[in-house]
Amino acid sequence: MASPVRHRLLAGLLLMAGLFVGSAMADHPTGTLDTVGSDTMAGLMLRWGERLAREHPGLRLQLQASGSASAPPALTAGTTRLGPMSRPMTEGERQAFIAQHGYPPLELVVAKDALVVVVHRHNPLQSLSREELDAIFSVNRRCGGKHAITRWQQLGKGLPEGRIRLHGRNAASGTHGLFRRVALCGGQFRPEVSQHPGSAAVVAAVAEDPRALGYAGLNHLDAGVKRLARRDADGALHWPDAASVASGDYTLARNLYLYVNLPPGESLPAPERAFLELVLSPAGQAVVEALDFVPLPPDVMMRQRQALGLATSAN
Amino acid sequence: MSDASPDTSSRRRLRQARDRLATALITAGGIGVVVAVLAIGVFLALEALPLLWLPSGTETLGLSALAWGTLEAAAWSLVIAVPLSLGAAIHSAMFMSRRLRSRLKPTLELMEALPGVVIGFVAGLVMAPWVERHLGEVFALIVLLPPGLLLAAGLRACLPYRWQRWLPMGYAGLWLVPWLLLVMATALWLSPWLEVWWFGGDLRDWLEQGLGLDVAMRNALVVGVAMGFAVIPSVYALAEEALSGVPSSLAEGAQALGATRWQTLWRVMLPAASPGVLAAVMIGAGRAVGETMIVLMASGNAALMTLNPLDGLQSLAAGIAIELPEADPGGAHYRWLMLAALLLFLFTFLVNTLAELVRTGLRRRYRQLGGNA
Repeated sequence: MASPVRHRLLAGLLLMAGLFVGSAMADHPTGTLDTVGSDTMAGLMLRWGERLAREHPGLRLQLQASGSASAPPALTAGTTRLGPMSRPMTEGERQAFIAQHGYPPLELVVAKDALVVVVHRHNPLQSLSREELDAIFSVNRRCGGKHAITRWQQLGKGLPEGRIRLHGRNAASGTHGLFRRVALCGGQFRPEVSQHPGSAAVVAAVAEDPRALGYAGLNHLDAGVKRLARRDADGALHWPDAASVASGDYTLARNLYLYVNLPPGESLPAPERAFLELVLSPAGQAVVEALDFVPLPPDVMMRQRQALGLATSAN
Repeated sequence: MSDASPDTSSRRRLRQARDRLATALITAGGIGVVVAVLAIGVFLALEALPLLWLPSGTETLGLSALAWGTLEAAAWSLVIAVPLSLGAAIHSAMFMSRRLRSRLKPTLELMEALPGVVIGFVAGLVMAPWVERHLGEVFALIVLLPPGLLLAAGLRACLPYRWQRWLPMGYAGLWLVPWLLLVMATALWLSPWLEVWWFGGDLRDWLEQGLGLDVAMRNALVVGVAMGFAVIPSVYALAEEALSGVPSSLAEGAQALGATRWQTLWRVMLPAASPGVLAAVMIGAGRAVGETMIVLMASGNAALMTLNPLDGLQSLAAGIAIELPEADPGGAHYRWLMLAALLLFLFTFLVNTLAELVRTGLRRRYRQLGGNA
């Protein structure tokens, strides 16, 4: 009674293996790609997934976007081979992965993201210097501001009356950490900064209040808010846009990563290969641009394609 | 009897065994629940424990500000909810007509079924911006509504008896509605002048420059009103239960001895029901401390420690809700959040246990007094 079942199982397995090999050989991989990680990159992954399904109809991308911190445990446990993260892995996370698998995860930079300081659309303010920004947001003014800035009048004439109302992200988010590291020179945020669970919430809060000032991811801006430039000591303005982020001129920016579980010396399985082929291609980077993230410079893209053993002639 | 005994005794034995099995299962279930609740506490404590040997100088979460925010939000919601719900409970237990009461209670229970996220959404995205734009009107409402109510009571007392009959006490909840709308309209209409007379034109400037108080859009007062709204039904239901559970012999005795309704209320009913009323307030406090979504959406989440009701705050529950999904499990931040959760667990556990103990004591007292509660 047990043997027919076993036979059928065996046949099924063989069939699946056959399908897998066949599909890999026909260059039309099938199956499901599981990814676990960053919610900042959820939209990006989703669009890439849609494009992937269009190019390879048998391939589906499954996305679980519960925050960057969820990617390393999933990679370590082996429940996923692709982990999108909006921050680099911490040393602890990397060590845990190595302890389990014996080799480090492969780190790919797939796009860049910039943080923008925003005000209400009717606020006439144009720019802030690094010291001013720090003196507004931080308690200890590590970037060298002399006085704390709490009122709009301290920044110039023609600005709204009253206190500056500050909006930012929650403490565990990568956005919070990046702003703190770069804009506050590692200092401490003021306690009166309202913490929002997402960049979109920050933008919404700033858009409804003429006295508000906040920071948010570049790709979350809308018509209700106005972005501010960073002003150098000589008065030069640095506007946050794709060109200045890509060139490194605008420093309040970060890389978006994709971590891949790939044993050294092995080549990528077909589904992952198809996905990365798309992500690190001009078409994939066009998706990045369409979502208002900053695409990779072509040389960085080429270098990573080489490291993965993908064809280096852009198609 | 005796000839049927083997059959009945075996059946009885079967029934006894079944009873014993049922009792054991129920007991096991009860113990299981208690163990599960305790296990949550133990789990949180174990997760937070490594904080003790964390190197000094690592980041702290500022738990004191979060604990302060939690208590502040709960306190403001009780300030709003306790007078309203206790007043409603006293009125409906003692004065209200039975027909109206049978309509009112289900309505209030419906209010309790309103999800916190809906209340929080309305408070944070509709009420807070409105309050911020119309600070003067809100102030006028707060100042003018209570005297308006007292005025209604005074006017009614001045009316000749014939007219009073048309405005019966038992239906005060209905005929006061148009009056309250009238008072509100007057307050809104008067508010620009009030703002000019008292605050020189702009209340916010007066607060910020005159008193040095910040005005945040999402603040403790908005949280208090929204969470008060959420707490009112449970406080009302428990307080009403305590008041109407007072043995009727007590109230009847007092009235037979010549006490007025007011004297009966203050000297007999309220003292007799006071533990139940206290328990009702404590249950309300427990809900306010543990409430997450309303505080998350309406408080602005700024971890401040001020007494200013117009400033933002952050509560333990809201802090855990935004931070935990992104915290690195096992990291210092995660441990601090676990400690915050443990603190919150202890808060609500203590408050609710205390309330339950008080209520049990009250029920025993009523039974001694001959009531049927």
